[in-house]
Amino acid sequence: MSEPCIQVSSLKKNYGQMEAVRGIDFTVEHGEVFGLLGPNGAGKTTTVEILEGLRPRSSGSVRVLGFDPAADTRALKERIGVCLQATNLPDKIKLHEAMRLFGSFYQKTVDADELLKRLQLSEKRNAIYSSLSGGQKQRLALAMAMINDPQLIFLDEPTTGLDPQVRLEIHKLILELRDKKRTIVLTTHYIEEAERLCDRVAIIDQGRIIAIGAPRDLIANTFGASRIEIRFAQPLPADETIPHSDGAKTILSDDRTLLNITAEKPARAIVDFAKWVDQRGLELADIQLKHPTLEAVFLELTGRSLRD
Amino acid sequence: MKPYLTNIAITLRLMARDRMAMFFGYIFPLIFFFLFAQMYEAGQGGGVAKQVVTSVLIFGVLGNGFFGAGMRAVSDREQNILRRFKVAPTTAAPLLVSWLVTGWINYIPSALFLISIGHFAYQMPWPERPFTLFIFMTVAVLAFRALGLIIASVVNGMQESQILIQLFYLPMLFLSGATFPISAMPQWLQIVAQFIPSAHLFDGLQGILLRQEGLDTQWKSLLALFLTLITGMFISVKLFRWEKEEKVKASAKLWVVAALAPFLILGVYQAYSKESINHAKVLQRELRRSRTILIREARLFIGDGRVVERGALLVRDGKIAQIFEGDAPDAKSLNAEPIEGSGKTLLPGLIDAKVQLTASKDINWSHSAYLFSGVTAIRSSGDRSSVILPLIEKVAKGERLASEIFLVAEMPVTGLTALEASVAPKPELLERSLVQQVAPKGLLDQLRPLLAKAPVDEAPLKTRMQTIAAASNNVAGSGSGQQFVIHGPGIHRELALLVQAGLTPGEALQAATGRAAAALGAANRIGMLKPGMEANLLLVDGNPLRDITATERISMIVFRGERLARADLFEPEE
Repeated sequence: MSEPCIQVSSLKKNYGQMEAVRGIDFTVEHGEVFGLLGPNGAGKTTTVEILEGLRPRSSGSVRVLGFDPAADTRALKERIGVCLQATNLPDKIKLHEAMRLFGSFYQKTVDADELLKRLQLSEKRNAIYSSLSGGQKQRLALAMAMINDPQLIFLDEPTTGLDPQVRLEIHKLILELRDKKRTIVLTTHYIEEAERLCDRVAIIDQGRIIAIGAPRDLIANTFGASRIEIRFAQPLPADETIPHSDGAKTILSDDRTLLNITAEKPARAIVDFAKWVDQRGLELADIQLKHPTLEAVFLELTGRSLRD
Repeated sequence: MKPYLTNIAITLRLMARDRMAMFFGYIFPLIFFFLFAQMYEAGQGGGVAKQVVTSVLIFGVLGNGFFGAGMRAVSDREQNILRRFKVAPTTAAPLLVSWLVTGWINYIPSALFLISIGHFAYQMPWPERPFTLFIFMTVAVLAFRALGLIIASVVNGMQESQILIQLFYLPMLFLSGATFPISAMPQWLQIVAQFIPSAHLFDGLQGILLRQEGLDTQWKSLLALFLTLITGMFISVKLFRWEKEEKVKASAKLWVVAALAPFLILGVYQAYSKESINHAKVLQRELRRSRTILIREARLFIGDGRVVERGALLVRDGKIAQIFEGDAPDAKSLNAEPIEGSGKTLLPGLIDAKVQLTASKDINWSHSAYLFSGVTAIRSSGDRSSVILPLIEKVAKGERLASEIFLVAEMPVTGLTALEASVAPKPELLERSLVQQVAPKGLLDQLRPLLAKAPVDEAPLKTRMQTIAAASNNVAGSGSGQQFVIHGPGIHRELALLVQAGLTPGEALQAATGRAAAALGAANRIGMLKPGMEANLLLVDGNPLRDITATERISMIVFRGERLARADLFEPEE
């Protein structure tokens, strides 16, 4: 397995005048959980659908499991599992029928009942699709995506629209898949999901990858420091000087009530600044230590919030 | 193969769970069936029941085709169901095929069900060509489903598909003939109907059910349906869209026309050859011949000399079904249309064993004049067979409504009418009511002065009458076609002359019915009132056994089971 599971370079996709994907590069290794994070319309789904062989690309090169998705579409589809955004099944189809129906398209399949059991749908085997809850439908979609025992699974927004508890359930299933050494490509616009599940994340915005790496590294590379916020009850007296702490930078707001500190050693900085406040007899309104998140990374890189 | 079979199996299960599909597949046609059966009085004859079954079968094919697969495809696409299939390693073919095949599997039992109801509830005979019927229905259902699928391929969204489907469904329904007979439509609409696949479908089904036609007759319609199926499938696969976000250009709708191209060609051919229009006419005739009629309270002249003074006769499916002496059962209980015959005499259709059709300028006119005069069979004598044979064929096929023509060897016939016209022509011969009715415009005016000038010598006629009176095996033949003998009523004059010669009216009538049929070698099917014989009947006012001229007072003519609208017999042919 010298070749990476997925290799994408200079991938572009235009819909007429609109450039949905504007030249992106990344690789996904075998056994990795790779996340594509970005707001709606960033080009995540387009990218994933090109990888799945569902859409032709405009330019660039793509290899997935050693295949070119545009040329060896059928061979590729045979080997991957896909959980699409917003799909449905006929209302009256029974779960075991749906498994059988979609299984019939593949050369190699695994036992459908076994899959349903793993996804805790055994007792729903004879239920019809329309009687399922949102979470059950999503679990069925996962089961169907795994019917051909795929080495590579694409999950397009697997938890969008689900309530938090069901979302956790799905997370657990994805983590189980990761333990089984399946390669997973996941798109999401939930930061927590990406942080929690992904080995590496590519942040996509307006058709470009603006950052790529392990969530922890992304945060560290973007900020390299934590932030401390100190809010005073009264504005700081004009003659008050702000002390220095090792590796910390400070900014005082114009109304002199909020002190922003960026610190490489946040624990040290908190002690230093607390001492100062105490010695000077200043009245504290609030003190907060803020660890940066992917959200902040995104905000920092794009100047926009993810959920706009 | 596996994806095809699995798709079919599961689509079938889904269909069985779909109450709407079951309702429209089975209950809905049944409602129409009983509605039509009431409207057309299906109880009156197997033919009418066949007609009703055909109509409802067409409703089924059209509904199944346009509202089945096509709607399903659009709604699955709109609901993002097809998207899910897109990620699997498959083309659209297993889906399309399963939609076609399941519709067919759903339809065939419903067709069988309707045919069974026709059989058990309305005495419709079982189809005599079940295999042909099966093949034809199969190709038809699949072809119309393929049409539905193309419509699905070229529309964006449910609303558009509804509009386009109605745009095809309604004209196809109305111009098929299933709701309204094509032969009764105005000429231009009949031409338009030649381009409508459903009209060919209707025509084909009727032909198979009513006339026991095989694939050899129906191959053109069958081929057109088959080509529609193939092009329809091909185009559907090409244009297939898995997602509603993929839109098609408006111009793609022209593909529907491509699938209908076989019918464009067939239509041009038919409009040119009128083959199908004639066929529709024939089928309509077949239908009129299949009604049930009860003529009651009439005097029956059997044809072999016997007379039933008061009796009734039942006509069913073109044949004499039963003869009742005295009281007849209630017409309703026989599902028959009653005809009052009191004061009237019912005879077998008359036979004129000697006529020369080509002696007249307008051969179609003279041929028609015979049936108009109650003469249901004639023997052509001295005509060129190249002229007569096509007429014989047209009559046999039902394309032409006129007397049956026999072309058999020369035989001795009475021939008094022709003799009288040549040796002793009388001006009053042209003034007989029936002659006035059938003679072409202006002919009588031309003949009157000629007739007045003709010399008269009764002697040869008298001699001939004596010979005839002495013979016991006379066959009546008028020799119409000769000068002064107008085509059609000649045999009536012959009967009167035979009585003048000394025969009893009964003997004379026998010479023009039973005995004539025997001489023509057709005694097994015409010339007598007997169950199983062709229903060729002449109902006249009064009693020709007392006054032979009563045969000219025609009250009703039945030819092969069809009550004739006599005035329509002279309608020009195309």
